[in-house]
Amino acid sequence: MPVLPDNQRAAVSADFQRDKSDVREGFAALTKADIRAAVNALDDYFDTNASVINLAIPQPARGALTAQQKLDLILRVLRRRVRGD
Amino acid sequence: MASGNVLAVFVPQNGEPPASNYATLDARNAIMVADFDAAADEAIVFRGYLPGHYSGGGLTVKLYWMATSAVAGACRWQSAIERDDGALDHDADGFATANSAGTTTSGTSGNTNTTTITHASGAEMDSLAANEPFRLKINRDADGTSGTDDMAGDAELLMVAILET
Repeated sequence: MPVLPDNQRAAVSADFQRDKSDVREGFAALTKADIRAAVNALDDYFDTNASVINLAIPQPARGALTAQQKLDLILRVLRRRVRGD
Repeated sequence: MASGNVLAVFVPQNGEPPASNYATLDARNAIMVADFDAAADEAIVFRGYLPGHYSGGGLTVKLYWMATSAVAGACRWQSAIERDDGALDHDADGFATANSAGTTTSGTSGNTNTTTITHASGAEMDSLAANEPFRLKINRDADGTSGTDDMAGDAELLMVAILET
């Protein structure tokens, strides 16, 4: 799966700022560029380390799940850790 | 002296949303504010009447605002004036070219920042004259077209004051 195109990285950054603004959650002293840099770096990281992340999934799930299902599973685990839902 | 005379004051409740990309009303500590997005330009429009004691010195628009949560970065604002001299067709906007200014936000997100934008007499204020209705559009230039806007998160507009320059 390739990295996100620029407009989608921008959308991630915009949505993050919008959601945090809605609940008045701060960004310390970060600027928009700093947040965007974090988005870019995370997207690059997931792209670079896709095979390593895949290896973290044990068999038989690794072989049976589609790539999209694996991403969905990763998202669910992270969301539960972060938001509890 | 006419300079410094207060000509109009607006609060978010006075604002009218444009057809698209409008700032949204919100409350902070029960104070009504207008929220402007960090990623895309958003605007709010105020209708007013230029008092008869305006003596032709041009207008100074003062924006009072705070960051929703940011404590760093600059916010870029634009103001534009539309004169209603009786020849304006209200079926289309007729704002003069906007002027702009930027301000670095306070280190405390709840503190008020002030951004001052001046409009010289004449075309910069759409040739608005005393005793005429007008509209004032306030836009956050979130995409930085006119200058740096790197403040993360929403900007919250508290009040707009128009003074004679």
